[in-house]
Amino acid sequence: MSDEERVTALLDGALDAAEREEVERLLEGRPDLRAQLEEERALREGLRALPAPEPRPGFEARMRASLRADRRPSRLRFLLPLAAALFLVAWLRGVPSFVAFEVARDHSKCFSKSTVPAKVWSDDPAVVAAWFEKQGTRMPLLPEGAAHLTLVGARYCPLGDRSAAHVYYAGKQGRLSLFVVPGPVRVASTYDREVWGRHVHFLQTAGATVALVSEEPEIVNAFSREFARSVAAAR
Amino acid sequence: MTREALFETEAMPHLKRLYAAAYRMTGNPADAEDLVQETLLRAYRAFDRYTPGTNAKAWLYTILQRVRTDALRKRGRSPATVELEDDGPPVRGGQDDATAMRDLEGALRAVPESFRTAVVLRDLEDLSYAEIAVVLEVPLGTVMSRIHRGRALIRATLSGRKD
Repeated sequence: MSDEERVTALLDGALDAAEREEVERLLEGRPDLRAQLEEERALREGLRALPAPEPRPGFEARMRASLRADRRPSRLRFLLPLAAALFLVAWLRGVPSFVAFEVARDHSKCFSKSTVPAKVWSDDPAVVAAWFEKQGTRMPLLPEGAAHLTLVGARYCPLGDRSAAHVYYAGKQGRLSLFVVPGPVRVASTYDREVWGRHVHFLQTAGATVALVSEEPEIVNAFSREFARSVAAAR
Repeated sequence: MTREALFETEAMPHLKRLYAAAYRMTGNPADAEDLVQETLLRAYRAFDRYTPGTNAKAWLYTILQRVRTDALRKRGRSPATVELEDDGPPVRGGQDDATAMRDLEGALRAVPESFRTAVVLRDLEDLSYAEIAVVLEVPLGTVMSRIHRGRALIRATLSGRKD
């Protein structure tokens, strides 16, 4: 570091005590360095007194607007999770264990009321099937009853993002729900699952996925046999 | 406090000082505004890496200097060869004062950018040598030498005008 640079550093207070003492001693015998020190001091004062350039009007507002625009999340940030969620739903609605959970929950919900919330009341399978036909749902041949349970009525119930035909059977021995689930469910022929004490049995018939739900596995088995008999008879 | 509110408290108060430094680096208002805008956008995006309550001013000047270096590199120019394009900020005061300030502003602007930036950060933005070393990413000795050289060039220009 040259003597001149050390004088600059002295003016700016950038030297430690020993260096400062050394440069101050140097200044005593060097009028040129003393002149430099004074000139630099005056220059520094002059620079500090210069007016600060002001941004053009509206700059701060434009700056804040561009920051706000940068903060705004891009569409992709919404679209990617949305696409992932849709994919997950599409995948889940075909998983039998997930659909079993949905129908078991709906069975409990409907039968927890003092009266099932049917929209069509009849013990005649033809009347119930005709009601669904009118709404655009082709029903498999419904049994009148089995295991001492009889047909009570039916309605559409929401299962996630879709509506399933929900047929109610009841009797002194228990109750049973028969669901016709729209859309593909990955069941080869039959599938059984226990969900919260409800027995769920899936079967594929006439291109439809049917789910039978009851608290009693015997009732489900009896209905399953009856259902298979009535389908075979219809053929 | 939200990230936005913290940025507002820590970074935005430096907007005008950043602009003043950017103006003296670039020599014209449009480039200075672009420089400050890009600096604050980068600062906002990197705000998670900033520790609140530490030296926001030095952090922002460091980003400012990097943005400036990147811009010059894109244009294939080095900081030492920047042309200055207008007459500088308006000067108020008596005629003698105004002339002296205009001369000083002109002399500052005539200094090559690498020296000028060191002088601006020290004398106008009041950064310490250590802070300037961080901002410019150079050793302390280089800071000392650039400030000395920058001031010497200004003094030489001013004494040439007096003669």
